[in-house]
Order: sequence, then structure tokens, then C-alpha cells
Amino acid sequence: MHLKAPEHQVAGHIAKDGKPGPLVDDKGRFFKPLQGDSRGEIEVKFYESFSSNTEVPAHIRRYFPVYHGTQAVESSDGAAMIVLENLLSKYSKPSVMDVKMGSRTWYPEASEEYIQKCLRKDARSTTVSSGFRISGFEVYDHKELSFWKPDRKLLNGIKVDGVRLALRKFVSSNTLSDTSSKPDSAFASSVYGGSNGILTQLLELKTWFENQTFYHFNSCSILIIYENESIQDGDARAQVKLVDFAHVHDGNGVIDHNFLGGLCSFINFVRDILQSSDDQSTQD
Amino acid sequence: MLKVPEHQVAGHIAKDGKLGPLVDDQGIFYKPLQGDARGENEAKFYESFSSNKNVPDNIRGYFPAYHGVQLVEASDGSGQLPHLALEDVVSGYVKPSVMDVKIGSRTWYPDVSEEYFNKCIKKDRETTTVSLGFRVSGLKVFDHEESGFWRPDKRVVLAYKVDGARTALRKFVSSNPLADSVVPDCAFASEVYGGSNGILTQLLELKAWFETQTLYHFNSCSILMVYENDESVDDAPRRARVKLVDFAHVLDGNGVIDHNFFGGLCSFIKFIKDIVESSENCCENGH
Repeated sequence: MHLKAPEHQVAGHIAKDGKPGPLVDDKGRFFKPLQGDSRGEIEVKFYESFSSNTEVPAHIRRYFPVYHGTQAVESSDGAAMIVLENLLSKYSKPSVMDVKMGSRTWYPEASEEYIQKCLRKDARSTTVSSGFRISGFEVYDHKELSFWKPDRKLLNGIKVDGVRLALRKFVSSNTLSDTSSKPDSAFASSVYGGSNGILTQLLELKTWFENQTFYHFNSCSILIIYENESIQDGDARAQVKLVDFAHVHDGNGVIDHNFLGGLCSFINFVRDILQSSDDQSTQD
Repeated sequence: MLKVPEHQVAGHIAKDGKLGPLVDDQGIFYKPLQGDARGENEAKFYESFSSNKNVPDNIRGYFPAYHGVQLVEASDGSGQLPHLALEDVVSGYVKPSVMDVKIGSRTWYPDVSEEYFNKCIKKDRETTTVSLGFRVSGLKVFDHEESGFWRPDKRVVLAYKVDGARTALRKFVSSNPLADSVVPDCAFASEVYGGSNGILTQLLELKAWFETQTLYHFNSCSILMVYENDESVDDAPRRARVKLVDFAHVLDGNGVIDHNFFGGLCSFIKFIKDIVESSENCCENGH
């Protein structure tokens, strides 16, 4: 089994200072180290439950990574790892964005220390104000022919306008590191719009969240992916995926109103960009 | 002639010489402008809302009509004080059952004082606000067997957990809310919550607006539910009505939807929907 570090991680843990990070193989699988304390356990428990939950409709299942159980991996000192579908294996030049959903990342079952840590982070970011925050993104620059990633510290301090700008840059073709030029949002309708675009997928997810009471997806992210190789021909292969289930708890008959509120807010941001880019192109 | 409203279930009450709202016999509700910024903020909201052309007509009906600020003899004897003159949403009802539900998984909002934040978050965590996205603030329900009202104490209501909130919502549409040892009969669930003019239909209309409106953030606002119990007239309609109230903490939306209110509203809708569905199943099974 030939394992290496994934190329396009935009958020979450990476292999650093001797601590294990995620790995990918050449068969389309993603190996995530089981996090210490209860988080790894909770994530496994979620995947086990979800993969055998017959009440999850098939069209919703596509928004979740396929689960392949757990495995001890030699190159990580026999550490146990969760084996998942590598969401990027079928992409050759993916642009990826990680958006943490919900107006709070803490939840009643968490420890007081964790709750306070989350409250601080939520207040400093757009989580409280907008119901979501951008954890990270990487976008392909079609002029520079390379990937660009914003500075992590910069991202942590952005406000609502910064979020809008990031969502525009994410679907732009012009030079991204040049802050003086306005992002052209050239790919907005291919990526965000259309019958298979991001907006359509998010709306499908939203309908499920209005009724499902199985899980509360605390601190989960939505990953947005699209292909740059084919985008110039209008073929974005845009995909929405939910990831990071270390804090998921039972819904206990209550909908995940925290995730739903944030998702609805995010949908509005995406829709606004799509509409303003549509308006722009009709004016040109 | 002004008097203390009969059907207040939450908020300040003008009792025992305290300052509180008053009603007249013309269907107007007078709410004293609170000393701090809150009264000013509420008046500012009503001024803005009543003249905001971007609010659709069908949504306007969910808000009390605004009749400006008027000088009125205060309930605590302190003389003429400015009061918000509003539509009295329960006038015209003979024996109304009323419930006040505070919507949102948080009652605080960005940029409040640390003191206010701590007060709010403590209450939010102790009640169902954090867990359900809403909490019951108060209610009074007419009991058809006892011919009187069930009006649980405020402390009891604030101690509700998920099951308590669900039971209160069931009792709200029951004919026997005072009977403790008996299961609430949900006798009026389909007439009050269900139907083409019922509470659920109205909540869904509100929800559609909240999915895209970025005009206001309704921090700490309540939904009031009212319906008629008077049976002196045969087949009297229940006239179930939803109204949004309490706008002391409303802020500009600034281009962002009120995701806090929206999430809580969806959770509340799910609870109501479940009660309607289980009461329909009850009838089918001949209970």
C-alpha cells in the first residue's frame, strides 16, 4: 500500500511535528487518523450509524464520503485510521473550499472548556454574524497556472465582506494574489449555477435538514469542489460534500436547527453572487 | 378608559402599581417606552417597518399594526409617559388561549455588553433555547371541563426541557390542560395547528419570508399564538392567529438573513407538524 500526504487539504489537521496526519493511497482512499479523546470514536460511530441507516434517502447519501471502516496503518506506527473515500481522487486540478456550518460550533454535550473556546472563536469569525465561516480554500489561477491559497491568519479575521470576496475569488479566473484587480467571477454560473451546480445541491441538502432529526452535525464542514481542467469548456463537475463528524450527536427528535440556519444563510450568499454575476454578464 | 390587559402571558405586567402595558376598548395596546435604549429601539423598528416598501403585504399581517407613540397615563401612577400604541392582538377574542414562544437558538447578538451576554447565554442554556432553537415564555389555555384557564407559573415554564415544551404545545390545543394525570387530548390540534388557515400554514408563510429577507434581525422576538375558545355560538371558528411581538432588540440585517430566527422557526414548525400528524393518526385509529 503506497501512502502519501494528500495534496489539497485546505483545513483540518495536517501531518506536522511527528503527529500523524491524513494519508491517501492510489486506489481512491483517504486515511484519517483517529483523533485522541472521544472525537475519533464519535466519528467512527457516526459513519457506522450513517452507512447502515436505511432512512437516509439515496439522493442525500451522495453528499457524504463513502465509509470503508477502520484500519491499522503500518507507516503511522500501526495507528488506527478511518478509511474513507478520497473525495478528490477523480479530480485532476480541483479548487476546494471548506466552510464550517452553523452559528455556533459548540453544543450542550461538550465540556465547559470546549464551549468557552468555541464561543471565542465563533465571535471572532463570521460564525455568529453569518451562520458559517470559511475555514480555508485553495483555488487554481488560470493565468498563473498554479494554485493559490489565502493566508490562514488573514482568513481568520475576515468579516462579511471578506466572505463575499472569497466566494467570488473561488470562482474567478483572473490573477488571485493581485489584490488590486477585482475577481471576475468567470466561473460563477458553471460552478454555483445550473441544474447540477452547487446552489442546486445545497438546496437539496436544505430540504433534508428541514426534517431530519437523526443527527446534529456540530462543527461539520461543507466542502465545495470543482474541476479546473474542464471548466473552460463549462464542465465544472461541482460537488458538495459534508465532512468532519467528530462532534456529531443524536438528534433525539429535534432538527439540526443550528446547521440549517447557517446553511440557509450560506445559500443566500452563493445565490447573491450567482445573481450579480448573471447581471454582469447580461450587461457586457 | 384604560385597563390592565387580561391575557398577558409574558413580559412586564402592570400589576400592584408596577409599570406595564394597558389596553383601551378600541383594540389598542399601550406599551410604556422603557427608559433605556430598548423602548427607543422598538419604536424605531415599528417606524421603519410600517413604512418599509420591501415588506410583502401578506407578511405585514403577522406584525401588530403601529399607531405611533402617544402620551398616556402610566399604570404606576407616575403621570403621562410616552407609550407605543399598537394593535391589541387579542382584542376581539372572548376566551383566547395564548402562548408566547421566544424564537432563536440564542437571545443575545453581536456587540452586546458582556453583562447582557452572560445573562442571556445562561438563560438560553438553562432553557430549551439552545437545544430546540426556541423556548416557551408563557401560556394560558382554556380548560373546557373546568371552565377556567390553565396558566402555569413562569418559573415552571422556564424550567421546561424538551419534553416539557412538547407537552405544553400539546396542552395548548387540548380541552383538558388542567388535568395533570391524564394525557393531553389534543382535541383542537387539527383545527388550531392544522387546516388551510391554521397555525402551521401561517408559520410556513413566515418561514418562506425568512429564507431570504435580510432587512431585520429579530433578536429575542416572540411568536404569539392565539385562538378562540368561546362556544356560545355554534361552530364558532377557532380563528387561530400567529403574530410576531417584542422588537426591543431588532437590528438591521445588513444583507445577511436572520439565520438565528430561521433555524428556531424551522425547529418550532417541526414540533407543531409532529403534533398535527400524531393527532391525525389518533383519529384514524379511533382513539
